[in-house]
Amino acid sequence: MSFDARAVVRRIGVLAVFLLSVVTLLFFLLQLTGDPAEVMVGDSGTPEQLEQVRKQYGFDRPLAEQYVRYLVNLAQFDFGVSFANDQPAFSLVMDRVGPTLLLTFLSIIATLAIAVPLGAWLGARPDAPERIAGGIAVYIAQGVPGFVAGLLMIQLFAVHLRWLPSIGHEGVATWILPTLTLASFLAPKLTRVVAANVTEAMREDYIRTARASGAGPSGLLWRHALPNALLGATALVGAQFAFLISGAVITEVIFAWPGLGWLLVKATTTLDFPVIQAAVFVIAVLVFAVNTLTDVLFRFIDPRLRTKGI
Amino acid sequence: MSGEEVLSVDDLRVSFPARNGSGANFNAVDGVSLSLARGETLGIVGESGSGKTMLALSAMGLVPKPGRITSGSITLRNRRIDDLGERDLCDLRGREIGMVFQDPMTSLNPVRRVGALLVEAIRRHNKVGKDEARCRALDALRAVGIPSPEARLRAYPHELSGGLRQRVMIALALVNHPPVIIADEPTTALDTTIQAQILGLLRERLSDAALILITHDLGVAAELCDRIAVMYYGRIVEAGSAESILSRPRHPYTAGLLAAVPNFDFGRPTLVPIPGAPPDPSTPVNGCAFQERCQRRTPICATKPLLREHTGGLVACAHPAEEETIHA
Repeated sequence: MSFDARAVVRRIGVLAVFLLSVVTLLFFLLQLTGDPAEVMVGDSGTPEQLEQVRKQYGFDRPLAEQYVRYLVNLAQFDFGVSFANDQPAFSLVMDRVGPTLLLTFLSIIATLAIAVPLGAWLGARPDAPERIAGGIAVYIAQGVPGFVAGLLMIQLFAVHLRWLPSIGHEGVATWILPTLTLASFLAPKLTRVVAANVTEAMREDYIRTARASGAGPSGLLWRHALPNALLGATALVGAQFAFLISGAVITEVIFAWPGLGWLLVKATTTLDFPVIQAAVFVIAVLVFAVNTLTDVLFRFIDPRLRTKGI
Repeated sequence: MSGEEVLSVDDLRVSFPARNGSGANFNAVDGVSLSLARGETLGIVGESGSGKTMLALSAMGLVPKPGRITSGSITLRNRRIDDLGERDLCDLRGREIGMVFQDPMTSLNPVRRVGALLVEAIRRHNKVGKDEARCRALDALRAVGIPSPEARLRAYPHELSGGLRQRVMIALALVNHPPVIIADEPTTALDTTIQAQILGLLRERLSDAALILITHDLGVAAELCDRIAVMYYGRIVEAGSAESILSRPRHPYTAGLLAAVPNFDFGRPTLVPIPGAPPDPSTPVNGCAFQERCQRRTPICATKPLLREHTGGLVACAHPAEEETIHA
């Protein structure tokens, strides 16, 4: 892969503009939701307490000054302290990144392990009756909301069969149900994309060439059609990462998984703005990083794009 | 014809269901017979839709669905192959019969390296290790005149020029030394100068193997072929030695094709196009399929003419040109 310095600079510039937009939006979102000092003091607060909090956090300053100070603090990863327990919001959030990434990563692995073979099988001969039935089943699965799938799996594997724990984050056994739940968001969609791409690839001229040199049905599918079909699938997995993070929010709440999503939900219900801002900021950076990674990966697996820079 | 017969096709019909959903079938290949001897080059000439590619694909067992062989037989080296199952056909393809396709850009897998395609084809038919297969792949690239073959093994098709890609395509078809090769418009997608190189390569590489060259270009056929069969509407309308077909065409369609070939004979007034267009393969025709476009047409042309001996060749026409007629 060739290294293109201009492309890297451009990519960093895009990141800067993107992050500035995100934090600016977060700043004004806070102003729009009412008086943050009132939230912090609570219903029982006296006017004196309110005034003190305003001074302490600078809410009495002009908006422009608050915005600049906010940016300066952010540049040092200082999002302020959590309203709930006075701990720095940024480190609270960073503690939760690991579990969320673990869950997202595991679920992508699970998604690929389900969707690639299933999609290849469905797409290789799309008109075979058993595969038409399979396609309909995947279509229905795509319509089931992820949290319903999660609750059904808890009911079956944790409550009835007692094979797996339903909550927590200690040990591999506790990883399985959350992983499958999150995978159920993306796997049906990816299965259908792989199947459609395989069907399309099987009609290409190069498949006929491979047949003419003696390739059998399985060689055609796995060595010739699937590598082409996976190009489109990679783009989908990358594009769906943001969606997976939001899926992780629901999944983390269901399984009491100590990740970003669960923290974000708690912070939102208590209007803990420093934590909300820090969490959204970190999620935005993660999504950006994954999108960049997907682009690089895409160039790696599609040889036609390899000669261009990142 | 001389020598051992390697491929014969007898009264072959390849049918497709009509597109209008009437349940009727039409024949893309309609009663074609031909025979190919070891080391011989046979040209099959015709316009788009004449059935020449479908004839080639049926010899490979690659008739696309929903088409199928409805009658006749194909015999490859004394073995009937038209009724073989997919598994047996896979064993034959590439080893007993190979094919070169028209467009080397779309016909080579864009995400596979040239070496991977060759090695896979070699190991499909030979019990050899990776290193041995790689050596043979190198030999195959050398044999088709590809410069710096070691580097090309690692190349992807898009990194090669059109001419090199078609050489890779030929290397892939020849890599297991099949005794019969079918080349379907092998030079149509290439520049004229590259065309000549590729035709020269095919001729040079095929001293032993028999070649079926499918082309719409009589010039290309003249370059390479011992015998030529002219197809029209799924049927062979004229066949014979290349020399006699090109200098003394008996069928008015062949004569028309020759008159439509551009050349540098300034003495000849202009190109003479054949009036009209070939009938759509899916519409039935009674009698001679060329009659609508034919100046020699008489009422007898409403009866389908059979391919019969005429002045040293075969022709399916009620009014073939006589010995002394020279084409326009």
